[in-house]
Amino acid sequence: MGIIAERVAPQKPGYIRSRWLASGEARFGYLLLAPTLVMLGVFLAWPFLFGLWLSLTNAELQNPGHFIGLANFKFEFLVDRPFLQAFTNTFLYTGVTTVFKLGLGMVMALLLNQVFPLQRFARAALLLPWIIPTVLSTLAWKWMFDPTFSVVNWAAVQLHLVGYPGPNWFGGTKTALTALMIVNIWRGMPFYGISFLAGLQTIPVDLYEAARVDGASRWQQFLNITVPLLRPVLLVVLMLSTILTFADFQVPFVLTNGAPFNSTHVLATWAYQWGVPGGEIGLGAAVSVVLFPLLAVLVAGTLLLIRRRD
Amino acid sequence: MSEQAGDQKDPEREVWFPWTRRKFLTAASMAAAGLAAAPVLEACGGGGNQSTSSTPAAKVPKPRSGASIRLLQWVHFVPAADAEFIRQCNEFGSKNNVKVAVERITADQLQTKTAAAVEASSGPDIIQMQYGWPHLYASQCEDVTNDVNLLKQQLGAVASVNDAFSKVDGVYRAVPYTIVPNAFTYRTDYFQKAGIASWPKTWDDFTQAAGKLKAAGVPPISQTDGHAYGDSLTMWNPVLWSFGGREVNADGKTVVINSKETRNAIKWAQKAVQAGFVVHPEWLDPDNNQAYHADRISATLNGASIYIREKVEFHHFDKVSDNGIVPAGPKGLFTMNLIFDHAVMKYSPEKETARALLLYLMDRDNYFKYTKIAGGYNAGPFAAFDNDPVFVGPDADPKMKPFQQVVKPGKWPGWPAPPSKQTAQAQTQYITADMFAKSLQNNGTGDLESAVKEAESRLKAIFERPS
Repeated sequence: MGIIAERVAPQKPGYIRSRWLASGEARFGYLLLAPTLVMLGVFLAWPFLFGLWLSLTNAELQNPGHFIGLANFKFEFLVDRPFLQAFTNTFLYTGVTTVFKLGLGMVMALLLNQVFPLQRFARAALLLPWIIPTVLSTLAWKWMFDPTFSVVNWAAVQLHLVGYPGPNWFGGTKTALTALMIVNIWRGMPFYGISFLAGLQTIPVDLYEAARVDGASRWQQFLNITVPLLRPVLLVVLMLSTILTFADFQVPFVLTNGAPFNSTHVLATWAYQWGVPGGEIGLGAAVSVVLFPLLAVLVAGTLLLIRRRD
Repeated sequence: MSEQAGDQKDPEREVWFPWTRRKFLTAASMAAAGLAAAPVLEACGGGGNQSTSSTPAAKVPKPRSGASIRLLQWVHFVPAADAEFIRQCNEFGSKNNVKVAVERITADQLQTKTAAAVEASSGPDIIQMQYGWPHLYASQCEDVTNDVNLLKQQLGAVASVNDAFSKVDGVYRAVPYTIVPNAFTYRTDYFQKAGIASWPKTWDDFTQAAGKLKAAGVPPISQTDGHAYGDSLTMWNPVLWSFGGREVNADGKTVVINSKETRNAIKWAQKAVQAGFVVHPEWLDPDNNQAYHADRISATLNGASIYIREKVEFHHFDKVSDNGIVPAGPKGLFTMNLIFDHAVMKYSPEKETARALLLYLMDRDNYFKYTKIAGGYNAGPFAAFDNDPVFVGPDADPKMKPFQQVVKPGKWPGWPAPPSKQTAQAQTQYITADMFAKSLQNNGTGDLESAVKEAESRLKAIFERPS
């Protein structure tokens, strides 16, 4: 009876909160959260904050250095020419690949959402680029673009699409960057596809049936049902993918390592260049965190959009 | 071939002792007792001109029974050489009850792992230092002057480039280990077909040869001008030097790349490319090997692995392959080779055992076994190895002679500045190679002025940056 009375009786918000916090359930909840918080703190927050600190120092390998303010950033933007190239490349690389991954991922999800023979096999097969370790698949692509043994060129020549010997993929500035983008799109597309597929399968079939009864075309159904209901998934996927692509290291490093003449460096590989072979930890950290303000705005904006819609 | 500046006799390197393990141990013990104090003291200063009066006598490191040692180095391009290296490590281990583990990774990954070990103060006890790494990681490399002095006493002077790389501020931070000589390997059948009688002696001859090969319709002479840690640096630095160009002055501070000599070097390269020399900015170190073995090119600059593997393993073109020294330019003959030394890391709990292992590997007999199996891919870094039977013995392959001839004219990236953190950074950013690559794009018609100015700007960013 007392319990019932307590439930129905209006209570001040502060009273309820303090009671809840005092309860064993809350303490147990925090206990369950603790390992995750510790993990995030140790492996995410601390390295990030340490990276920010390093970017403001002249730290070198085996030398913690001292605080030098924004001197590293000033050097990068005003003196270090390859940095500016890497900065431009990073935006180009992320922008182009994101557009293609978004479009092709959507097509992939729509196709996989249909019922057809060997549907499960096709889903598994299309996920392969995402499952295979990046370095392994990138090495395979490196061979496929190899100027001497390129299977891509061989196929293109056999199909009379290009003249022999075909493009020297990693030999030209534009073709090398294009090759990087192709590999990134190939690898990232399944992430979009499978995420969109999961989103598509949560959309009630009734809506489509109702739309068909009302005479809506496929395109109208896509624009007015699929896209709006897929929007939260789409925004989250777009946000994650953009962040990951901005920070992509493995594909550019393995495929070109900046060649020819630094035309394919992105910020991640340039940060590595200064930080590891060059031993300039502070400078490398500055290059790697330079996009942080932009990415922070991007994440905040995306999360606001999702919440506003909700 | 005419005698070049680099071939001049070095009095210090004339010292040569036939050396066996027994003699090494005996002599080293004598050194410890002070009986061989004079030469040791001479050597302890890191150079004959320095005062050595306060330098302690060299002491022979003793391996600790039951110790475990991890050694990290690259994967050798001649697989049998790695097998012999590991055999010798195991032999040392079984004689001294020491467990030795040799970890091998590809050369382009070695620096990443080294930097991680240095920063973490944890990892392999011994790390193979390539090029000027001892200058980058000096704070974490044990002082091995004592051990180098023992070796100098027995094997004579250290080869100049190994000496420059392994000695930091007068202290040896690595034990000189090896030189990987770089010379051209070429197809005699294609050269004959093109009417070329012998390997070009000068860069102008080289251009003519490239033109004749192109006219004959046979595969070209090809080389990387990309980001290959070996083949790109060993090609384009010597080209720059042999026309009188330099990245930086001997003071190690003044950037002098923007010069008439640099432009002359680039103009030569542009003419060579227009004549038929094919450059590949996309090639990494293994790519020219593969192209040669696949019959796609007539010649390329490389370590001896192309020729050795043809001779020992593939047998496709071994009968029609020969080797030639790097051509000379107007300012003489300059070469660059891969230089590897071994550092004992300060964090190692088994530093003395590690030093003893390195001395064992540098034992003259052991080293000759190693170079014999490597087939001449490696050359020794001490004077006593100058007459390595693999190059000059009765069974030596005369075609290997160019790989011995390129050793003495060898310089290091950034020369004539002494190796430093800055020269290492300029090297790892491929600034000189990039300058050539940019000028050589579009069949040798790239913007020379823009390439030189960009190289100057990048070098200044490194050498003039306040530390």
